[in-house]
Amino acid sequence: MGKRYAMVIDLRKCVGCHACQVACKSENNVPLGVFRNWVDELETGKFPTVSRQRLPRLCNHCKNPSCLNVCPVKATYQLEDGTVLIDYDRCIGCKYCIAACPYDARFINPVRKTAEKCTYCHERLEAGLQPACVNTCISGARVFGDLNDPTSEVFKLVATQPVNVSKPETNNRPQTYYIGADDKALRPNLLNIVGGEK
Amino acid sequence: MTTVHLFNTNHEIYWGLLIAVYFYYTGMSAGSFILTSLGTVFGIEKYKKVSKVGVLMAIVLLLFAPLHLLFDLEQPSRALNLFLHVNPSSAMSWGVYLLVLYPICLLIYAWYMFRQDFVNNMNGSGFKAGLYRFLLFGKTDMSAAAKENDKKKSKFFGTLGVPLALAVHGYTGFILGNVQARAIWHTPLMPIIFLMSAMVSGTGLFIIVLLLVEKFKFGKVSDDIKSLIPDIANLMKWFIVIDGALMIIYFIVLWYSSEAGYAAAYYLLHGDAWSFLGLENGLGMLLPLLILLSKKARQSIPAVVVASVLTIIGVLAMRINLVIGGQELPLTGSKMLEYVVSGHDLTIVIGLAVATTVVLSFLYAVLPMNRPGAQVKLTSQATKGVAQ
Ligand code: SF4
Ligand code: SF4
Repeated sequence: MGKRYAMVIDLRKCVGCHACQVACKSENNVPLGVFRNWVDELETGKFPTVSRQRLPRLCNHCKNPSCLNVCPVKATYQLEDGTVLIDYDRCIGCKYCIAACPYDARFINPVRKTAEKCTYCHERLEAGLQPACVNTCISGARVFGDLNDPTSEVFKLVATQPVNVSKPETNNRPQTYYIGADDKALRPNLLNIVGGEK
Repeated sequence: MTTVHLFNTNHEIYWGLLIAVYFYYTGMSAGSFILTSLGTVFGIEKYKKVSKVGVLMAIVLLLFAPLHLLFDLEQPSRALNLFLHVNPSSAMSWGVYLLVLYPICLLIYAWYMFRQDFVNNMNGSGFKAGLYRFLLFGKTDMSAAAKENDKKKSKFFGTLGVPLALAVHGYTGFILGNVQARAIWHTPLMPIIFLMSAMVSGTGLFIIVLLLVEKFKFGKVSDDIKSLIPDIANLMKWFIVIDGALMIIYFIVLWYSSEAGYAAAYYLLHGDAWSFLGLENGLGMLLPLLILLSKKARQSIPAVVVASVLTIIGVLAMRINLVIGGQELPLTGSKMLEYVVSGHDLTIVIGLAVATTVVLSFLYAVLPMNRPGAQVKLTSQATKGVAQ
């Protein structure tokens, strides 16, 4: 079996320092105002039973990526190892992928004028390095590796820890596994936002 | 349970006014074409006299529609990639071919429809005669066999045009309907809703254009057109009924669907109420329906015009509510997304609307618009209204 890259994010360890967000920006030269990788901070519950959560987010490199399905020119493609990439020379900037991704993972790079998102730092992987966010994480909350390799750390974590993914009901099969994430935090609390909560 | 985001990353609404207006144009093109093909294709005699007005409108709207998309691309110079790389799983990729085939089919259909009139009016030294001679490409045969061939060919291409018109607008419904990330779009009804509202707005715009063409080209709205308007208005009434029924079905199922679906429905009723209930469904659907329900109103041209204008506005609101409203609900984070139309987009929308009107008026002015039942000779007097 070939490789299948995935990321595990252990929220019990994340302290919300945003170092990964910064490292990603500088590694990938991401322009101001847009993010390939970002950390949301939220509070769930009502006083006094509140809990504070941090939620690092990035492209999930889905097994069935809706961004790839909708791209009219096949500029978005998937490698054998599961990494979803964009051919920046082919992308016409129609933004269909941005509308179709359930995770807000994509944006238009205002300088390059194409769609863009996390690449798992593809160049670093090719050079045998870890993605910049994983490399920089001060608490070891981010673990990256090959889910098909039983000796890898990600495999062990997914096999032994209670993990969940964001919006499992989509047919995307996202490959970012969170440990200790409240499902309420992994999706917008829409009823709260629009009203209509009974 | 409440969730408060203390730190939110902003996301943008990327599909804005240009996309909504693109859907609107293709819809009106398909709608007006299907309506006016009733004559040539389905042999309903009385609609034959308006086929020419309808087909020109359908062609011009469809030529300008994709320009909205082109201006929306971040890399318009790479638009050719759409033809070079096909992705069968992308509705947008299907559309590229439809957007080429449909106008070509319509152009051929129109040519056969206009050919004999070109021949009849090609002698002379004026601009129009020269244009007709050019457009004939040498095919000036007026034998009975050639005339029969015109009829057959226009019927063939008109018939081919109907499924193409359905597809060219139906596919836009798939563009939204296939997106499972957004409950508000993700319904199998989407292509049919788009088609029905296209019939409504296409008919509405067609009535107005038809009356304008009659007025300016022939000086007055002649009796045979006057007697056709109630018929078209009656059809429009039924289109609105079906469109309204679909909207109600869509809304009920949305209300009882997933949490995201319910939230979207709730948002349409509350947050977006003035535009969804007021503009789209009240002013744009219910009011014209009430007008058209009365037989007397259907026979009164001003009443039909008012109803038509209302449907045109209503369907535009519907496209905007769906395309842009559908993206206002966040997929992550805890804030509604806000859309502010950029000056760039607004300029393009207005510019293209003006260009469409100018080109369409020009075509109506220079092409022979005579029709069965009112053979008006193309004299300078009859056309002076629009010629300048
Ligand atoms: S998270 Fe979004 S952008 Fe990333 S692979 Fe999945 S659908 Fe595509
Ligand atoms: S913006 Fe680029 S990558 Fe995204 S769907 Fe369009 S062409 Fe494909």
